[in-house]
Amino acid sequence: MVELSTQTKEQGFLKVFQKVTRLISMVLDHQQVMDTIVRSLPELLDIDACTIRLFDTGTNTFVLGASHGLSLEYLSRQSIDTEETMEMIKSGYPVAKVDLDEDPTYSDRQAAVREGIKSVLTLPILFQDSIIGIMRLLTKSKRLFSAEEISFSMALAEQVGVAISNGRMFKEMVNQVDFMTEVQKISRLVNSTLDLDSVLDTIVQRVPLSMGTKGCTIRLLNSQTNQLELVASYGVSQSYLRRGKVENEKNITMVLSGEPVAVYDVSADNRILFKENMEEEGIKSLLAVPIKVGNDIIGVLRILSETHHSFTSSEVNFAVTVAEAGGAAIQNARVYQKINLLFNQIEENERFLSDILDCIRPELLVIDKNKHVVLANKISQQRLGLSESEILGMEYNDLCPAISDDEGLCPVERVLIEGRPATYEHQVELKDGIHWFERTASPMFDDKDNVEYVIEVIRDITTKRKLEKEQLERVKLQGVVDLAGTVAHEINTPLFAALGTAQILEGDITDEEMISDVEMIIRNLKSISKLTEKMTTMTGFERKDYVGEANIVEFK
Amino acid sequence: MAEILALDDVQDATILIGKILAKKGHNVHTFTEEDEAIVFAKENKVDLAILDIKLKKMSGVDVLAKMKEATPAMHAIMLTGYPTVETAREAISLGADEYCVKPIDRDELEEKVEKVLASKG
Repeated sequence: MVELSTQTKEQGFLKVFQKVTRLISMVLDHQQVMDTIVRSLPELLDIDACTIRLFDTGTNTFVLGASHGLSLEYLSRQSIDTEETMEMIKSGYPVAKVDLDEDPTYSDRQAAVREGIKSVLTLPILFQDSIIGIMRLLTKSKRLFSAEEISFSMALAEQVGVAISNGRMFKEMVNQVDFMTEVQKISRLVNSTLDLDSVLDTIVQRVPLSMGTKGCTIRLLNSQTNQLELVASYGVSQSYLRRGKVENEKNITMVLSGEPVAVYDVSADNRILFKENMEEEGIKSLLAVPIKVGNDIIGVLRILSETHHSFTSSEVNFAVTVAEAGGAAIQNARVYQKINLLFNQIEENERFLSDILDCIRPELLVIDKNKHVVLANKISQQRLGLSESEILGMEYNDLCPAISDDEGLCPVERVLIEGRPATYEHQVELKDGIHWFERTASPMFDDKDNVEYVIEVIRDITTKRKLEKEQLERVKLQGVVDLAGTVAHEINTPLFAALGTAQILEGDITDEEMISDVEMIIRNLKSISKLTEKMTTMTGFERKDYVGEANIVEFK
Repeated sequence: MAEILALDDVQDATILIGKILAKKGHNVHTFTEEDEAIVFAKENKVDLAILDIKLKKMSGVDVLAKMKEATPAMHAIMLTGYPTVETAREAISLGADEYCVKPIDRDELEEKVEKVLASKG
């Protein structure tokens, strides 16, 4: 700076201050503020170069924010200044140096030599008593900064601090508004469906888009095994996803205890286990937040960045809010999935039971306590010649008017009154003749042991009845055959004695009349013999009318 | 002349058989008790046994089995008032020569006896 009178100097400083204030008041983005400052100050303060570095709380270092008048090589040097200088700056004091290129304590002295830097004024950028960065004014000719210049530069740096902070706050507010809008959009999307996969896919696709990151994964806790399972991912390769069990990573265990975890550098953070896989995948930073339903943590949402990124509080809040909204939607979708599954199972069981009822041969009717038919299987529909919709709701008496027992009550009515099973057999004349039906009615009780429904099973027992009748006839016939055989046997022996004796007598006598008499005896005994022969060989008989109500039988 | 044993629970039937066959020159021994008939058959020469199937304590088939045990060469004619396939099959399997149904005609009886005895040699 040129030697001027104090008043002139102050006027000069005021002009510079006004210009800087005007410039930085015209931009809101803190990056634009920094760019404006570093571009404007060299001309205003008659210096060769200017840099602004911002303090990164994640790494505890000053990261280059903007620069003017310096080469990339110089800017890429390892250390900014000597440790002593940096300590002074961190304590809030400005440090003015000349002959930086000759300072033996400065490790990057050679870089300063190559760049031709001789003097440097390093100023802390303060905002509300905290150091948020440093501003360095550099000259290529030897220059001694006066106390006034240093004081003015300090005031200027403070003004820069206010501008940067305002810009940051403004950006943060803009981000927050954007995030709020995004949260609303994501919430609307995830709540618009009850399909779990759609919910998960929406989250993993929208979150990286909103945050400008590479990818996203969701792992949910399996309620049965209590193990995390990868359920959705976006922006990462299959080989990365198959890298191994991430449950043991510290960042995951921290998240499962309810704490969001932001990792600036995954390659150097002990909370990360699969550093090589992340490096191969190009992941530099990550943010992991718990997915919650109420107070329960049901999973982990991980947001992966391909650039080193210090996640701001609004970004963390955004991720936490999305995870919470997602958690509720996931839970809803899961409940819906379960209900759907149960519903399908019930439907399947109902179909199965219905098929069974339709396949069983007996007719089946279910009648409610008001005697309305509530169920009729296919066989009963076929016999009644009515469709299911016609039968259901019908009065039972209209459906089966002919049913009544000797006491005037049908079995269904008896069950409704007595609460005990009742069976009844009756005959009905159908197109193909008389049919016998067995109707068995059984009660179905409600919680208070009152008959709620009556289940009536109707079986066509015509064939069974016919068989029983035939069996009875067979038993009767066998009895008759046995009786006839026994009688024949009892008669045959005396008949043999009588017939044989008569035949001997016939040969012994000579009187004609007596011979004629004996011949008549022999003839009649032989008739009896023929009868007993029929009796022993009979296979059936035919009943014939005799006199009045008496019957006789004819052997077959 | 042959030694013939007749067993029937009805005495008149045995008497008749005895009369008919005696006239033909045979020596007929009549019994109504099974045990006595079996003992007789064991102790004496019997060429032919005429056995009723239905007896007092045993069946004629059982009696035949016992007699055949002692005298396998003895001939037998079974008589029954109630023929069944089972008794006929059993009797024949035990060695009975004929299975006749009562009331058998005098001529038929004589003829069957002669036929059975003729087959002796």
